Amino acid sequence: MLAVVDPGPLLTIQDAGRPGLGRLGVPPSGACDWWGLAVANLLVDAAPGAAALEVTFGGCTLEAIETCVVGLGGADLGAERDDGRPLRRGTAHRVPAGARIRFTGAERGMRAYVALAGGIAVGAWMGSASTYAPGRLGFADGRALQAGDQLAPRRPGDLDAVGSVWPVRLAPYPADKRGPLGIVTGPDLDAAPDGALEALVAAAWRVSTSSDRMGLRLDGPSLGPGNEIVSHPLLPGAVQLPPDGRPIVILVDGPTIGGYPVLGVVPAADLPRLGQLRPRDEVRFTPLDAEAARAQSRRQHELLDRAAATLRADAIWLRLADRAGG
Amino acid sequence: MAEPAPRGPVRIERFGEAALLVVLGDRVDAAVNDRVRRLTARLGVRAAHMAGLGAPVPAYASVLLPFDPLVLEEAAVRDMIAVALDAAGGPSMTADRTGIISVPVRYGGPDGPDLAEVAARTGRSEADVVRLHAAVEYRVFCMGFVPGFPYLGLVPKELALPRRATPRLHVPAGSVAIAERQTGIYPADTPGGWHLIGRTDLPAWDPRREPPALLEPGARVRFVPV
Repeated sequence: MLAVVDPGPLLTIQDAGRPGLGRLGVPPSGACDWWGLAVANLLVDAAPGAAALEVTFGGCTLEAIETCVVGLGGADLGAERDDGRPLRRGTAHRVPAGARIRFTGAERGMRAYVALAGGIAVGAWMGSASTYAPGRLGFADGRALQAGDQLAPRRPGDLDAVGSVWPVRLAPYPADKRGPLGIVTGPDLDAAPDGALEALVAAAWRVSTSSDRMGLRLDGPSLGPGNEIVSHPLLPGAVQLPPDGRPIVILVDGPTIGGYPVLGVVPAADLPRLGQLRPRDEVRFTPLDAEAARAQSRRQHELLDRAAATLRADAIWLRLADRAGG
Repeated sequence: MAEPAPRGPVRIERFGEAALLVVLGDRVDAAVNDRVRRLTARLGVRAAHMAGLGAPVPAYASVLLPFDPLVLEEAAVRDMIAVALDAAGGPSMTADRTGIISVPVRYGGPDGPDLAEVAARTGRSEADVVRLHAAVEYRVFCMGFVPGFPYLGLVPKELALPRRATPRLHVPAGSVAIAERQTGIYPADTPGGWHLIGRTDLPAWDPRREPPALLEPGARVRFVPV
């Protein structure tokens, strides 16, 4: 059992989200970095899309009410125990009753994930535990977590996972990748000014401070105003061109329809990178063929599956060793 | 017999590597949206029974169809869309069995702070504005902005006004509003740029209700002054 001592700028419960409800105006929500969520969960033998805590930036403090095991995934936000012992990401840590976990912040990355044994025990709203405030969906009517909130694991008392380590060389974090983000072009290039796509790809963009789980605003040269189009549906990753000519990248809580031209869509394999961008980070784009994007996605899922199998095998050995008396 | 559906050129555009956007028209138009609704229904039936096919998302004149490219090839999804388009293009073979949902509205006063201005700008009396707004049977063209917000059309031409120059930071939940030839119901307290002409106690969105959304795309709606 974990209690929130200080939520920091934003602390929410997120899982794999609730895709498929766009027709009602409900965005998918879920973890901004789905890979980081999967790592945290798999470390503590939870389903990769189970509910976990999404910690934003630094400043969050949690306290163990009972001794528990936490899996840490996503960005390295400088997690440490209150005795100063660092808590590495990609590891399942034992947190004894009374001990605190602090996220002190770090140089890179925006969101860390904290998973509990078997996942956080929480209800489902329209099929998901993900917090989405505008729809009042999720724990406590969709509000962000506050000091005093308590979160229990689905398997309280199960500390078997302690010591599990993510095989990071086998399955590296996509968000650690450098270089430009892919963009599969279309569907509204006709409605964009001439040369807008070329200019998008040529420029170095900076993530604006007015970015959140709904979208990333990018500062840089104006690409010129797009023609207004009849609003069509949107998905996370869509790169819109609003009237001021500076692109907006839709994220998981973003609008489900929109009337600005979409120049292209960042593919699924790069969404974890989008979800870890912080204000003032530099962003570049490179056009990516749809088949190449699918190949990246396939490779990513294969690596995740192999890493999960490795963790399961490790867990069996750990348990046997325990029973044999160490 | 329904009017023949428009059969303009249909574009199928890629929306990233894992979705296709079917564009059926380039304007907010009841006939085009009719076709959107039928295409969405057909694709929805396929999606419910087919691994790798996501739930279709309709808008005014287009339908987005997500798919899992690790399960289905894009070409197969395009074929499914073509088949569904053929079936959705002709006149509807079944009667429209969607019931009409009546939404009781208190027009004007503190519930509709913009009614007087709308009346002045359209050169009509407030009673006329109410009568015109309540005279039409509306369709939900699509939903968005926030969960449960219905974009309803078409508002009579006489009431068409551009959005407010400065959006309000706070629009109370239940507000009934108009902009251009559309009308909507605010499901929650949000900012908003439409003209507020009334308010209903019927929640457009209630996450504790099943289903949470009062309306869905294609639903028929009538506003009833109370």
